[in-house]
Amino acid sequence: MSVGLVATFFVAAGLIATGAFAAVWRRDLTAALAAIPLMFAGIGVAFVGVARFGAVGGPQLFGQEFAVVLAIAAIALLALGLGIAGREAPR
Amino acid sequence: MDSLHAIGFYVSSGVSLAGGLGVALLPSRDRRGVSLAVLGLGLAGIYLTLSAGLAAIVALLCYLGGAAMFASPQYRRLETVVGATWRQVGAIAAGALLAVLAYSAFRGDFVHASFYGGTFGAANLGRVFFAHDAVATAALAAIVFAALAGAVALWRARERGR
Repeated sequence: MSVGLVATFFVAAGLIATGAFAAVWRRDLTAALAAIPLMFAGIGVAFVGVARFGAVGGPQLFGQEFAVVLAIAAIALLALGLGIAGREAPR
Repeated sequence: MDSLHAIGFYVSSGVSLAGGLGVALLPSRDRRGVSLAVLGLGLAGIYLTLSAGLAAIVALLCYLGGAAMFASPQYRRLETVVGATWRQVGAIAAGALLAVLAYSAFRGDFVHASFYGGTFGAANLGRVFFAHDAVATAALAAIVFAALAGAVALWRARERGR
């Protein structure tokens, strides 16, 4: 049993597509916000997979670095979206 | 990659996909929050098996925080006016996106090379963050600070308006 770049891309594709599905399927806009960290997680998996399996000629840490940035940005976007939804929602 | 790592990768992938489906399909906000935490747990497992330990810790903390925000009692619903037909069309488009991404991953001609990083990668990644890309790290911190401050300001404005 082994893991390769293609397997990580399959997982990333599944996460991104699930996020897209959550974004369009939820009737509640606040619930649809959770699609942002879902899709960012998929993108992060793809970047870390490339950093793990596609490092040519030396350490390629850009993928890991970008995954960290994506995780933090996803939570910041979620916090901002929840704040806006809390302001705009009917009382 | 030995088979223990491979098993960890596939189990973590299943956990993260199950968490993602829970976020997309579960009805109540607290269950969706738990699903987001499960997604973070699976994502951290994937990163860990791909030798990205620091990214795993950061992702786990971020997604647990997001789950706590999502499941909190201050959650407010905001209904859309999009009809059921368009939502179904969007769901079919998401399925088509999955097919396209999976096909491109399957047919892609990717380079095969050895891995040069360590098992955890924290020292190398810290060097990149705080020496090579220090400006980008500072910009990211400013963006996160602005987002959190904006969220707090919006909440306070709403509470003051009551």
